[in-house]
Amino acid sequence: MRKVLLAGLFSMVASVASAQQMEANLLFTKLRSKIDAVKDYVATVDMKIDVSFIKVPKLKGKLYFKAPDKMKLERNGGISILPKNSINMTVNNLLPASGATVIDAGTDNIKGTPVRVLKVIPDIEGDIVLSKIWVDEKRLLALKTETTTRDNGTVKMELEFGKFENLSLPDRVTFYLDVKDFKLPKGVTMDYETNQQPPPKPEEKGKMKKGKILINYLDYTVNKGIADNVFTEKKK
Amino acid sequence: MLRLELYKIFKRPRTYISFAIITAFALVIQLALVADGKNFISFALQGVNEQFDVKGNILNGYLVTYIILQSLLVQIPLLVALVAGDVLAGEANMGTMRLLLTKPVSRTRLVLVKYTASVCYALLLITWLAVIALALSVSIFGAGDLINLKSDSFVIILKDDVLWRYLAAFGFAALAMSTVSALALFLSSFADNAIGPIMGTMGVIVVLMIFTTLDLPIFNTISRYLFTTHMIGWKGFFDDPVPYAAITRSAIILAIYTVLFVGATIWWFNKKDIQS
Repeated sequence: MRKVLLAGLFSMVASVASAQQMEANLLFTKLRSKIDAVKDYVATVDMKIDVSFIKVPKLKGKLYFKAPDKMKLERNGGISILPKNSINMTVNNLLPASGATVIDAGTDNIKGTPVRVLKVIPDIEGDIVLSKIWVDEKRLLALKTETTTRDNGTVKMELEFGKFENLSLPDRVTFYLDVKDFKLPKGVTMDYETNQQPPPKPEEKGKMKKGKILINYLDYTVNKGIADNVFTEKKK
Repeated sequence: MLRLELYKIFKRPRTYISFAIITAFALVIQLALVADGKNFISFALQGVNEQFDVKGNILNGYLVTYIILQSLLVQIPLLVALVAGDVLAGEANMGTMRLLLTKPVSRTRLVLVKYTASVCYALLLITWLAVIALALSVSIFGAGDLINLKSDSFVIILKDDVLWRYLAAFGFAALAMSTVSALALFLSSFADNAIGPIMGTMGVIVVLMIFTTLDLPIFNTISRYLFTTHMIGWKGFFDDPVPYAAITRSAIILAIYTVLFVGATIWWFNKKDIQS
């Protein structure tokens, strides 16, 4: 009798786990296909780079994106600055393409919104090793991602949605990155010493520093088609 | 009297050599950057490019002007000393000092007028530099955002925010050159030949620049009191935020040095036995 009860309990747990797994898979597939619906966009953005060694005012410009991997910031003839592999700043590229193992990692809460946490391991070997996604199931939106890549470390991103949430396009993205120290010989730069900042402590030298990029998307033009040559640098 | 001193300065062909040198120097840099600017930029930005993609019109007139000014850090004081080192020693060399002092003018006034004439020349030189470096570079390369590379950071200044900084920087450079003029005048009061004060001024600046540029702890204490450290205060206008307190301190230190050099010249010249 006890054996029958144990077998029943085990099969119940297994079926619940399997159902959860199926739900997680379905959730990820739905999320992925919603995101994939955007093939390209041009967005008016303002961008604030918060990295210790970069002093740059808020940059306003147009951000061009074309799936799967093209991105460009254009500033009407001005200088634009984006992190290397800036394509990682779009959700499209932080989520593995459909063929992936999805694990339900429970629930969490982001700014009062209940979310489901998914761990996604791509089936095909690529740059992404593991993605952790915090999904608002009700609105089918990724509110936070943490992606471990083979070559670019761990990329964290927080997204806030508003006007364009039906297209999974955020109003505001905060992108966290690790940056190396920037150093040039003083004999070359001939710095003017102002004693504004204390020199870094010896133990901090050479260590990776945390940086942050905030992008406000003011408007989008979606799926109107963008020529590939928009992404190539114009020869002067 | 000032007009006479200015006439003396500007009638000499030597005076115009400085303007020609600045023109040639600026043109050489501009031509080099027209021909091979891209390689220069990618070399200069290699530390940044490891982590960031910097794109757009980086090599613009504002950046070229900055490169010219940076390259002329040592040369401009030499050109200023060419004239300021000659104003007293030149009279002694030509044997006209005693004749000049027969005029009913105090020695103090004579020194002050000669100093003022040297400063006028330095100001004209800086103005010419502004025209040839800034105006010409902008007309060749166009205007754009300015990248300022520092040893531990880099600053991007938006196009609309650059011009006033250059005007302020040229103003500060004029103050720095007034100090160099004062030093050259001071050394000029000891000599009967212009070469000594000119070389002496240059020597002092080069040696003190070593203290300023070599980042060694032993020099750091001394360098903050040297006028050469504060001569590059114009660069402060290209930082973000602009370090106004540091720039003001530098301007005050330069002004103190100027007063000291001119004061010492007046003191020495008043008690000097003029024999030529």
